[in-house]
Amino acid sequence: MSTATATYAVSWASEQSTGTRALQQEQQLNRFLAEVERRALRIAEIGVRDRDDALDLVQDAMIKLVRKYGDRPSTEWTPLFYRILQNGVRDWHRRQAVRNRVMVWLGRGASPDDEYDLVAAAPDPIGRSPDEELQNSEAMVSLEAAVQALPARQREAFMLRTFEGLDVAGTAIAMSCSQGSVKTHYSRAIHSLRETLGEHGPEGSEDE
Amino acid sequence: MNDMKKSDEQIAREAKALFDASVDELDAATLSTLNQGRHRALEEARSPRGDLLRWVPAAGVAAAVLVGVMVTLPGQGPIEVMPTAVADMEILLGEDSLEMFEELEFYAVLDVIDESDDVG
Repeated sequence: MSTATATYAVSWASEQSTGTRALQQEQQLNRFLAEVERRALRIAEIGVRDRDDALDLVQDAMIKLVRKYGDRPSTEWTPLFYRILQNGVRDWHRRQAVRNRVMVWLGRGASPDDEYDLVAAAPDPIGRSPDEELQNSEAMVSLEAAVQALPARQREAFMLRTFEGLDVAGTAIAMSCSQGSVKTHYSRAIHSLRETLGEHGPEGSEDE
Repeated sequence: MNDMKKSDEQIAREAKALFDASVDELDAATLSTLNQGRHRALEEARSPRGDLLRWVPAAGVAAAVLVGVMVTLPGQGPIEVMPTAVADMEILLGEDSLEMFEELEFYAVLDVIDESDDVG
């Protein structure tokens, strides 16, 4: 085999290997995003109180994760994805504040259409008895309202720890803060929710 | 009575159960949108980067519309928006503000039409 042929063979094999790795990585990202997207949507929706905006935020987070961090170890994806998503939610709130200021300046005020109706926005229940549907729906509406009423950082800590199941270290990465801050925010959030929802906390769907 | 209180873990567990139920109840249209969004994200990642250039026209349009709105609206000088302008401009000229500017432009057009009607 000539040197040129050998070089070509090595180069071809290397390209094949790179292509295979890229395909595997894309499949891995696809599986990760498919696994996380529904919870991420609900978390974003609770954060911004609008499903369409939440869908946009989740898609933006997906694009940014794939572009910026796709080549990072998959174990890092969850906290990084939620860091991007939480930044998106914070930016959304900043934009809303500016938008409201501009609207007030223009003498428009907030549109009644912008008011969020928790009951109307509650998900359609599927496959449950009417009593269960009602009980769960009411309990989720109460819980959602209570979580939305939390200060932003407490809300983030609570949702990431409880809803997404991130550990303290992962939540700290997602929130760009120390693990001590995560513990403080989370503890205050639980305390506030107990106060808001009553001594017995959320009630509804627990299967015990 | 204190021992009648639910523990932090219980509250978290019950909240998680409610949350998971709400995730399971997402409707088919929403799931489809999520699925499409995921594939679009993976596709965009494959395509060459053009995100910065993609938003240059949008930022230009946003800036032009802002100036247009300020000039068009009677009795409201741009001076009134200046105190918060520095902090707000970053957002106003950001990539996601095009929709808001379209809305503002629509209001400005409505104002012009109202004025024309008043004169007529």
